[in-house]
Amino acid sequence: MTEPVAIPDANEPAGMLEGDLVRHARRGDLAAYDELVRRYQERIYATIYHMTANHDDANDLAQESFIKAYQALKTFKGGSSFYTWLYRIAVNKTINFIKQRKNKYHLSLNDLDINAENDPDLVALVSHKTPSRDAGLSELQKKLNESLLKLSEPHRMVVILHDIQGMSHEEIAEIAGCNVGTVRSRLFYARQQLQGDLAEYMKPA
Amino acid sequence: MNNRDNYNFETLKQALKLKRHEVPPPGYFQKFSGKVISRIHAGDSGGRQSFNERLQYQAPWLANLFQLFETKPGLIGAFAIASCLVLVLGVVLAERSDSAPKDLMATADSAAENSNAENPSLLAPMLTAASDTSGGIVSSTNPVVSLQPAATLFGQQNPLFQPAAFAPAGN
Repeated sequence: MTEPVAIPDANEPAGMLEGDLVRHARRGDLAAYDELVRRYQERIYATIYHMTANHDDANDLAQESFIKAYQALKTFKGGSSFYTWLYRIAVNKTINFIKQRKNKYHLSLNDLDINAENDPDLVALVSHKTPSRDAGLSELQKKLNESLLKLSEPHRMVVILHDIQGMSHEEIAEIAGCNVGTVRSRLFYARQQLQGDLAEYMKPA
Repeated sequence: MNNRDNYNFETLKQALKLKRHEVPPPGYFQKFSGKVISRIHAGDSGGRQSFNERLQYQAPWLANLFQLFETKPGLIGAFAIASCLVLVLGVVLAERSDSAPKDLMATADSAAENSNAENPSLLAPMLTAASDTSGGIVSSTNPVVSLQPAATLFGQQNPLFQPAAFAPAGN
């Protein structure tokens, strides 16, 4: 005997399409907006966290981005998807924050999940440096974040959205408000910089 | 060389995969949306809004213009030169519009001279009346054409300018 599968109700926020949720939220329906927050909170938080390398800053900025988006919902004309529009708000907010903070970086890194130690690509990268996977991965994590922070904000944003978040060049161009060629050249430059900075890990095993 | 670069970028991409394994404390996302909604309920403005952020939502075209200036500072000079040219052009046009009433004045003067030359008897009573007044003030029923334009450059009425209307007396 199998358990019945719960089918989401289209009248409940959890079962609604993004467009319907946005329409409800614009009318002040906070339950609908809560559902939108739940759908995108992980991606928005992760992007901001990778940009700042600080959990507390990412927490504040992610919350503020969602609050700002709710207040600006009336100005959302639907020219792009809500997801792209939300990303644009979060990225602009983060870049403004980083510019105000200037160069005072304070790393507050999240822990690595258990899967990191079992990732063969990562294990191969650190195995020639130290026999201890855990210590090797922590060292690589710190070095990686420091190298990312050395990049300018536009270059950092492109490499994070593409190589970590897995977005396409076109999506990034829409978020950054530039053309695809600019995204590609920024990505190439950012990768070159990172490669130079992480040279000790880039040697083939 | 290209292949080596590609290989190295592949290695870099593998290293960047580590970032995907960085996770916030357990249960963090379960409370996240609740915090956002309660802050919205409390009327939180979402942090102090910078000038750039306000501009981003209220006048995106202006924000884009400022961003363009940031990335290409040479454009600021070009924009400033263009603004100066527009200003100079405006001043020149205003000067030209000032010269129009002078022409009118000249036309009015020559018309009066012509009419007096044709009929000098009309001028005599006026000269007599002028000589009778103690202050020597000459009055005339001819409309005075002001040198001041009726409206300024920005469409505001000149308070010193009052259009005169004359109605023929009697009959």
